[in-house]
Amino acid sequence: MGFAADQLQRLRPLWEQMLAHRFLIQTRDGTIAPATFATWMRQDYLFVEAAIPFLSAMLPRAPRAHWGPLTEVVAMLQKELVLFQERAAAVGVSLRDVEPAFVNHAYVQFLMATAYQASYAEVYTVLYAAEKCYHDSWTVVKQGLDTTSPWYPFVENWAGEGFAQYVAYLEAELDGLAALAGPAERARMATLFELTVKYEIAFWEMAATGEQWPALPASAAPAA
Amino acid sequence: MDMDATPRFTDQLYAAARPLWDAQLAHPFVRGIADGSLAPQTFANWVRQDYLYLKEFARVFAWAAAKATRLESMSWYAKLLDLTLNVEMGLHRSYAERFDVTPDELERERAWPTTRAYTDFLVRTAADGDLADLVAALLPCAWGYAYIAERMAAAGLPADARYAAWIAMYASPEFAAARDWLIEEMERLAAGTSAEKRARLTELFVLSSRYEWAFWEMCWRGERWPEPENAAG
Repeated sequence: MGFAADQLQRLRPLWEQMLAHRFLIQTRDGTIAPATFATWMRQDYLFVEAAIPFLSAMLPRAPRAHWGPLTEVVAMLQKELVLFQERAAAVGVSLRDVEPAFVNHAYVQFLMATAYQASYAEVYTVLYAAEKCYHDSWTVVKQGLDTTSPWYPFVENWAGEGFAQYVAYLEAELDGLAALAGPAERARMATLFELTVKYEIAFWEMAATGEQWPALPASAAPAA
Repeated sequence: MDMDATPRFTDQLYAAARPLWDAQLAHPFVRGIADGSLAPQTFANWVRQDYLYLKEFARVFAWAAAKATRLESMSWYAKLLDLTLNVEMGLHRSYAERFDVTPDELERERAWPTTRAYTDFLVRTAADGDLADLVAALLPCAWGYAYIAERMAAAGLPADARYAAWIAMYASPEFAAARDWLIEEMERLAAGTSAEKRARLTELFVLSSRYEWAFWEMCWRGERWPEPENAAG
């Protein structure tokens, strides 16, 4: 069994908790409140924007064979931004002037701090874990969401065959990197894998609750 | 006030962050330190999490030394790095034992979400920003702690010697000197920069100040990462 499969097995309870998150289930069943989905859309748009510097920060240490695939991921993220813009326009949601929620900000800082400080194999672990989370999460939504839903293009994007192949490629590459890593590095990779899954769960929770930053007293709250 | 004087950039930072620092001063965790009423087991949250914070804070000084162009600044950041790693963290380990937190426990401690987010933010800013960005992000820790501790000390130290020592350390002339040097460094780095750059520096400064408040809130309420529900107990 490869490193990725080992981690997925080790984290199975957490993974199942993520896949059973009410945000996904309500989206799948078509019962999600439009405002709740809009919260996710606005926050995830920021996250996808931030993922482009993350991918770019991986490049300097990437093996030559990964340069092409990583730059393709950057191009894919650009297309995702367009997808968000189209879906938001279709339902009258503005993507402008959005402040990142605490969890969103924290997750992005985690990505960037990891990209700058961790080994390439460790950063690659984070990339794989995040993409695998998204593929599996949207596969849950695919199992019930009406194909005429305005949100269905998100399903087509992340639960489609193309994304599945991309995630499978990442998994194979991650297993290769893990095979070359020593036990200490593999242990750090496992920790980062788990932390990524926890951030993904926290992100769904933030979308479901609309939680922003820890509530400051009104006298200290930043101007809107 | 001299009406012809150019306003100092750090005065603008102070004005932007002061409501957040006053909110820290009014936070029940901070008030509990000030009057000595804070439960020691609650304060131990700060002891544990701040130890992890210090490790990453030291890393930011290393980035600062690498990015500084003035020899005096390089020397100063290197000194702070040494003091943080080789003096302050040792003092923190001794201080922790007064709250029954052993050095082994400190080393085993895992960052809670707010600690992780704040330190990742600092490290990320140190890595991909310039030195002005870095100083704007790290200054609220030194300045904000001095701000609240000096006001606590002026109001009188609590009877609990452990909290009195905490206040005395952050209200000390040595700590104030470090804060003052950083403020002047911020002035030097901001001099001649564009309005857009100053807006970015202010944004970083306010963001760190928000994280400072969130850190007290985390220590007061406790925090946890998502865990499997059947294991959450």
